[in-house]
Amino acid sequence: MAPFSPTIAAIRYGYGLAPDQILSRNRDDLLVQLVDAPLKESFFPIGGAFDARQRADDLAKGFEALKIAKKDAENDRAARQQLQRKAEQSFQRDSLARVLQATFSPYGFHERLAAFWFDHFSVNAHKSFPMRVITPLYEVEAIRPHLAGSFRDLLQAAVLHPAMLIYLDQAQSTGPQSAAAQNRKKGLNENLGRELIELHTMGAGSGYTQADVRSAALVLTGMTVDDHYEMLFRPRMAEPGEIKVLGVKYGGNPRSADDCLVMLDDLASRTETAQHICRKLVTHFISDDPPPDVVTAMVQEWKASDGHLAKVYAAMLDHPRAWQEPGAKMKLPFDYVVSGLRAFGITRKNWRERMSPDGDDSYTPFDTPTAAAAQQALKSSGEEMAPAMPGDAGQMAMDKPAASMKAVMPSDPAQLPKPKASLARTLTVAALRRMGQPVWQPPSPAGFEEGVASWLSPSQMSERILWARKAAGTLGKDMEPKKLLEVSLAEQARDDTIRVVGQAPNRVSGLTLALSSPEFNRR
Amino acid sequence: MAFSQDMILSRRSFLMTACCAAAVPVFSPVSFAAMPGENRFVTIVLRGAMDGLDLVQPYGDPAFAQFRPTLALKPDDGLIDLDGHFGLNPAADALMPMWQAKELAFVHAVSTPYRDQRSHFDGQDMLESGSQAVHGERTGWLNRALSAIPRSEDRKAIDINTSMELILSGPNEADVWASSSNMTMAADEVGFFKRLYANDAEFSRVLAEALRTDMAAEQLFQDEKRGQGIRDIAKLAGGMLREDYRIASFSVDGWDTHAGQKAQFARTVKDLTIALTTLKDALGPDVWKTTMVLAMTEFGRTVRENGTGGTDHGTGGVAILAGGGIQGGRVLGKWPELGEGKLLDDRDLMPTGDVREVAAAMLYRQFDVGSEALTNGIFPGLSFDRSSAYLKI
Repeated sequence: MAPFSPTIAAIRYGYGLAPDQILSRNRDDLLVQLVDAPLKESFFPIGGAFDARQRADDLAKGFEALKIAKKDAENDRAARQQLQRKAEQSFQRDSLARVLQATFSPYGFHERLAAFWFDHFSVNAHKSFPMRVITPLYEVEAIRPHLAGSFRDLLQAAVLHPAMLIYLDQAQSTGPQSAAAQNRKKGLNENLGRELIELHTMGAGSGYTQADVRSAALVLTGMTVDDHYEMLFRPRMAEPGEIKVLGVKYGGNPRSADDCLVMLDDLASRTETAQHICRKLVTHFISDDPPPDVVTAMVQEWKASDGHLAKVYAAMLDHPRAWQEPGAKMKLPFDYVVSGLRAFGITRKNWRERMSPDGDDSYTPFDTPTAAAAQQALKSSGEEMAPAMPGDAGQMAMDKPAASMKAVMPSDPAQLPKPKASLARTLTVAALRRMGQPVWQPPSPAGFEEGVASWLSPSQMSERILWARKAAGTLGKDMEPKKLLEVSLAEQARDDTIRVVGQAPNRVSGLTLALSSPEFNRR
Repeated sequence: MAFSQDMILSRRSFLMTACCAAAVPVFSPVSFAAMPGENRFVTIVLRGAMDGLDLVQPYGDPAFAQFRPTLALKPDDGLIDLDGHFGLNPAADALMPMWQAKELAFVHAVSTPYRDQRSHFDGQDMLESGSQAVHGERTGWLNRALSAIPRSEDRKAIDINTSMELILSGPNEADVWASSSNMTMAADEVGFFKRLYANDAEFSRVLAEALRTDMAAEQLFQDEKRGQGIRDIAKLAGGMLREDYRIASFSVDGWDTHAGQKAQFARTVKDLTIALTTLKDALGPDVWKTTMVLAMTEFGRTVRENGTGGTDHGTGGVAILAGGGIQGGRVLGKWPELGEGKLLDDRDLMPTGDVREVAAAMLYRQFDVGSEALTNGIFPGLSFDRSSAYLKI
């Protein structure tokens, strides 16, 4: 049996320690999270998945109607902007809820895996306005329910979700010989076919060719989204006939959705895929330079269990190296912010009081009387508030939370709470944009950079110190600096850190130093 | 030299007074005065595979319009004629004053040695590491070049980003700073942080760099609002180069135009034009004369339009050169033509030049980096000699 450390379990495999946290006693406690967590409802999308589906459908109908209309340019522009604002507002609220989800959840390992897999199957909410609504749905529909089962199911759910089909342009890709391509100028788009092999399964340089990429894209043709932003297989768009990918034949006449499913299953089962993903998991959790024997043990388990992910994670946790040499990784900005909020004891019960003292109700993720009234007012008036962060949320300086706020007020302001840049937003979504990891907006289909070198840089350090100072000044009123170290780092706090923090001239400085310490930034 | 002696002296005295209270003097008067050369070099990485055929369109090639029924333009549709064969995408019209002043040139049909796989990530790795093969080098070529630049310790390099990009990563010292960063730390607080990081070598190094760079940025921006947009990035790069930095690098993203290329490409080209014009303004006329900008991308895009109004990953593309002292106003490179049988793998613009040779020529031109260093340590496997066509610029 491998050694076990509750502190490493919380820091390396979770979002850090919080006051009064119930510690994991063994690796089974971590794995049990994967069973328990899905039973709890997620804080996003706001109002639940059903509501978000409805929002997506409303947007689809709205945009569709505008396509047909084209009568009155002025009116159409206003209507389009209103739809866009609605999508943006929904996204702003879901983004905050996404950070709070990770902060509040007692299932840190499950949360970390959700973030890992979202990043592995990256989509970007800024691809289009509908994506502002569909991306949060993607995480709850495709990623979270499948992250502890068979990789095959996860792959299928992620790759064929409308969010992925839109993000990697699959929705428009048409077989050059298909019926749909005959009467209109339409054709193939290789984007998803390529990333499916290069990023999602086998990994770059694992032996496939450009011909395989193109063929995979041909097999995928027909997989598209319908007028409600739901996945749909349209045989008319599918490339007819037999298509060979990596030496295996798919398709025939007629083509069916099963061809894609079989290809995805085959890709999921390949050894290169097991190696690529196990290596990535170890790189994410343990070290930029993944110890090969941990990877090997996981790949063996992958083969033995036919890609059962919970068992693959168990193989990682069973390896002694999983519990050694803490501090080899840097927390990514999201993890830094979330673990910081946890260290201050921010919970579902107290967050509003501590982080949203001005009553930032227009962006509160949870139903409250005022928020519900605001929603009602929105529905009945058809009016809309501008997004809280116009354009670039990162413009906002940390120390001036309300400086750059502009809002277009609805026709009857009395009915709606005034949007303010709350502390909650300053310390979460706005900070993450400044730190280079905006919520649900990875820089490319490959996700965010993972290595220490990417996140241990001068401007990153500068942003984190600013964050620590702001958090210390606003959330730290009842927290002694040494206590914060004790709570958040336990035995990982080094003696010299404890000493320097203890010498700080005041509480805010001490807390800032504690949150800026190497061991709080590393894991 | 572009700087007049008076100018240097007045800036020196200004900095002496402005900096004396700082914990870490950024503008050391000695290193500033001892600067061996005034030349500057800026690399801009165009991430996502910039479609060179859309930016610099070969409208004189008869096959072009057939391959691109909706994307190809003619001078009659707004394409800006450059030389009777190539035309500039109208979205880049803000660059025309530079072109007319011969401060802008394009190199067509160039690529890295990367072939066949067409992955953005490996492609950018190759472009930034300067290697002959995927994962051939672990450090950036611009960083390795610092070792070969005579007295490079006096010439500082900076990467404008939230994290260091591969092109400037490596054993030699280079600073990285984001346009929005502003640390503001009192002298006593600096002392605490130094002690806090004393036993973590990496944190100590990064802190020292942060303090140094923050001071430099502070001088440039003072109380101005700082954003993360391309204008802010270019302004910071230009400002740093006007002072004692000699090398800068940043990125312009958003070139991966698989669908609906027309609108997306125009938007991203706009960013590029803002980057170049802002940089020129921020450098000021004298320093601009000593500056060479090289903008390059991981690979080009398919010659044929795809089925979704966009283009897919290709090979040959365009590199951009700009600077106040160049003999531009020309499209360089050997045009491979587009007709049947002329394309690479029947899909891509056939590369006729190595973008690393363009980069090597610029290092030679700006900093006297010798061909031995260029073909061994900096661009392993590159054949480069002093007769390179790209030096005649």
